Amino acid sequence: MSLRQRLLVMFSLTVMLAVAAVAWVISLRVRDAYTTQQQQRTAALVTQFRREFARSGAQIGERLERVASSEETYRMGFDLTHGGDPATYLTEAAALAHEYGLDLLEIVGPDGKIVSSSQWPARYGYLEPAATSPNGPAFLKREDMPDGTSQLALISVRAVKESDSAVVLVGGMLLDRSFLDSLAIPEGMQIYLYRNFGAESLVSGGDAVIDRHALQPVLDQARFSSTDARAIVYPTSKREDSLDVTAVPLKDRQGVALAVLLIANQRRDLAEMQQHIRNTAYSVAGLGVLFAVAASLWIAARISRPVEQLAHAVDEVAAGNWKITVTVGSRDEVGRLAAGFNHMTGQLSEQRDRLVQSERVAAWRELARRLAHELKNPLFPLQITVENMVRARRLPSKEFDEVFEESTSTLIAELQNLKTIIGRFSDFSRMPKPQLQPEEISKALQRLIALYAPALEEKKIELKVEIENASLTAMADSELLHRALSNLVLNAMDAMDGPPEKTGGVLTISLRRRDGMIEIRIADSGAGLTPEECDRLFTPYYTTKQHGTGLGLAVVQSIIADHHGTIAVRRAESGGAEFVIELPGVAEKA
Amino acid sequence: MYRSIAASGLLLCAMAAPASTRPQYGGTLHVETLDTPDALVRMLVFDRLTRFDANGGVSPALAIRWSQDNNAQRWQFWLRPGVHFHDGTEMSTEDVVRSLNDACASHCPWKMVRAVGMSVVLTSDSPLPTLPEELARSIYIIAHKQAGGELDGTGPFKTTSSGGNNAMLTAVNDAWSGRPFVDGIEIDGRRDMRAQLLDLSVGRADIVDLPPELVRQAMQSHVVVTASSPVDMLALTLQGGRLRAPEQRRAIAEAVDRTALWSVIYQKQGEASGSLLPNWLTGYAFLFSPLRNPARATELAAAARMPLTLSADRNDPATQLAAERIALNLHEAGLTVQVRPPGTPDVDIRLRCIHLEANDARAGLHEMVRELGADMDDGGGDAASLYRVEKTFLDDGTVVPLLWLPRDYAVNPRVRGLALAPDGTPLLADVSLKADQP
Repeated sequence: MSLRQRLLVMFSLTVMLAVAAVAWVISLRVRDAYTTQQQQRTAALVTQFRREFARSGAQIGERLERVASSEETYRMGFDLTHGGDPATYLTEAAALAHEYGLDLLEIVGPDGKIVSSSQWPARYGYLEPAATSPNGPAFLKREDMPDGTSQLALISVRAVKESDSAVVLVGGMLLDRSFLDSLAIPEGMQIYLYRNFGAESLVSGGDAVIDRHALQPVLDQARFSSTDARAIVYPTSKREDSLDVTAVPLKDRQGVALAVLLIANQRRDLAEMQQHIRNTAYSVAGLGVLFAVAASLWIAARISRPVEQLAHAVDEVAAGNWKITVTVGSRDEVGRLAAGFNHMTGQLSEQRDRLVQSERVAAWRELARRLAHELKNPLFPLQITVENMVRARRLPSKEFDEVFEESTSTLIAELQNLKTIIGRFSDFSRMPKPQLQPEEISKALQRLIALYAPALEEKKIELKVEIENASLTAMADSELLHRALSNLVLNAMDAMDGPPEKTGGVLTISLRRRDGMIEIRIADSGAGLTPEECDRLFTPYYTTKQHGTGLGLAVVQSIIADHHGTIAVRRAESGGAEFVIELPGVAEKA
Repeated sequence: MYRSIAASGLLLCAMAAPASTRPQYGGTLHVETLDTPDALVRMLVFDRLTRFDANGGVSPALAIRWSQDNNAQRWQFWLRPGVHFHDGTEMSTEDVVRSLNDACASHCPWKMVRAVGMSVVLTSDSPLPTLPEELARSIYIIAHKQAGGELDGTGPFKTTSSGGNNAMLTAVNDAWSGRPFVDGIEIDGRRDMRAQLLDLSVGRADIVDLPPELVRQAMQSHVVVTASSPVDMLALTLQGGRLRAPEQRRAIAEAVDRTALWSVIYQKQGEASGSLLPNWLTGYAFLFSPLRNPARATELAAAARMPLTLSADRNDPATQLAAERIALNLHEAGLTVQVRPPGTPDVDIRLRCIHLEANDARAGLHEMVRELGADMDDGGGDAASLYRVEKTFLDDGTVVPLLWLPRDYAVNPRVRGLALAPDGTPLLADVSLKADQP
């Protein structure tokens, strides 16, 4: 990944993370604020409900007081307390309930049995347990109805005045939809009353409708713990339909939760606000990414472009173009880096030029020394021979002739020697360019082995050939390759040559394919090479032989290099030297 | 001589007595009922061959005499001569035969009815010992179908106008039974009870229905009340299906608190009874105990518990309240009973009110059993035989008698001479109106 891409990604991530963090924090704060507000609204509605509950209880008590103190009730109480026939008052409760605006009213006689019931007239004669403690505050009561259902009622109990408290009135109002409708429910809130008995039912205030099963967990929590419970309820799969529900258990005189008041706050506003925040965050993040692209482009112009130029210049230097320079466009670190690079390449170029010049001088010196050395050896016998011939002129002609003939032979031999030396130098300087064509390397090795087998046998050198049984073809110039391989074989023979008792050894020639390359190994069992010798062996004019020119292996390396291959030398397992040649193989045709 | 003088004096005093003490002709009687006016019109416009009398027997009406032979399988009724329908047509035996056949269609107790001279003969394959009493019932009216299809009768009143819930009757001057005192009767049917009492109190109504549960209150308010003997039976009929188990039927019979129904809902009117007939008719009704046995009911109900339905035939508040009370009693015994709206078909338990017209125990038993959709063998006319037949019938448990209730009427003080037939029907032909004070 380029620096520009990295910058782009980094900037984009930075912007998106920053926007996401801000959006998350804002959303969190909004939710907290919203929740606090909802809790306050719920608390207000609960307070309103309790106030309405208390007000209704007081109203029921007040109405019952009026009933209890009315003249007709007084007469009835007196009559019933003094043995009057209860049957006479069978319909009295209904009439009184209607007159005083009560949903429920029961007249309970001195024996604790119902004399008259407005809500269930047929219950006359049955005991009414609620009539045991009159004149207390209003309380919740489950009221059974003739149709088999049960209703939740707010009940108050009053004794009839002036009748020795023998006759009791049990009256109240139903806590039903109309009661819920009497509450001022703020917009966005819903209120439900769940009856915890009989056929379980959910009464809603207003037009609110909800699936009871969605409320079941919070209902159960409130019912079983008898304390307020709160939960987020999801009536549908949509998040905006979710409700923040608070459940308040409503208990009877014994503390049993007869009903649960459910106050639901719609979370649509919160969901919409959070969605709005998210949308804004997405927009800002999108803009941020665009900004990041623009910024990265701009910064790239300031930072990455000089760096890219510098990287390109480095590649050029690596490719050998030491003259490359980069533009110094600023005074910052990148600018200093560019200046340093230009300075470094300048230094390197100068050093290389000096090195080339000094190497050239050294090469000439070495050549001169070699030439002097090589030429001095034959020149000295020539000088001696000429001086002998000068001195021999004074000798008799017969002796002169012998000396002359011997001297001329020597002169001819030495001159031939000089010619040979000069020829070698000439050959090295005129190395021909190889004509590469597909060549079966195994055939080249077979030709080599056939050429040198007699000489090896004569010198008691054992030949081991390990050629892989496959077609191993390389692009090669057969003559140059043969010359290089012959040089290596001759070197190996020289290494194993010595006094008659030490003559002989093992010459191993192997051929195989390795990782797409063709590997040729030529190893001897001679004295071997030191690591220093290995390092310098291919240096021109370096030789370990007494009469070597030091050009043989240099020529071999030159040939192998012209074949796009490599040659290395190392100590063989048998103790001698091992040359390893690797040539690019030609892929086998299917 | 003194005796003659005294007699002459008394005669003179009687002749000189003020007119207000004697029945007076004229005036229109205003009657209001809770039901439709049809039943009253039927009683006033039409006659039957016989009629129940106040002595527990039947008297001649359109038939002046009758006889039976072949073990009461053949009855012959001689018609009153010179009786005319309101349109002037003379009553014939054909009219009687047609009327009797139309009255009961395929459910007639007799097999055949035919005219023989000035008489009609009814024959049957089985004895009909109470046929004269049966023919006194209101369903066996003798009518003549006019050209327009309307029925014409021979009763003391004829219909002047009728429609909806109102009927206007006019006295027939040449009625065979004599001219009624009032010139006409205006009947206002299906009148709300509150409205009836209001009309009575302000003088717009002369006679109004008074349900038994309101009698006590009316009397405390010094309303003139005329009451019949108990003639309406409130009973439960238990219909097959889920009540096939006898234990469950007995549990229901044992669970119902008749005394509470009688004393509270019906304000101690009539009598709590477990009998098919009222005690005033048989004298043995007390043998069928009206008392409940909740423990026994609970025990029996435990054997077969399943939800039941109950519906009353009548839609009045007292009957509905009674139905709810019965359901409460049954619930107390462990039976789940749901009260359905009045008249709901196919319920397990029906609360029925069955009217008794007969004034004879034997005829009454036949009538009640027939009304309940069953047949009975006539075991004889003595009380022991009737008791055995009734007990056998009730032991089946498909009918649970609860109460016998009277028929009551609140009467305007200006109404004079109001008497009730044995079945509680007001005899309006004998009523006269007190003349208004000048």
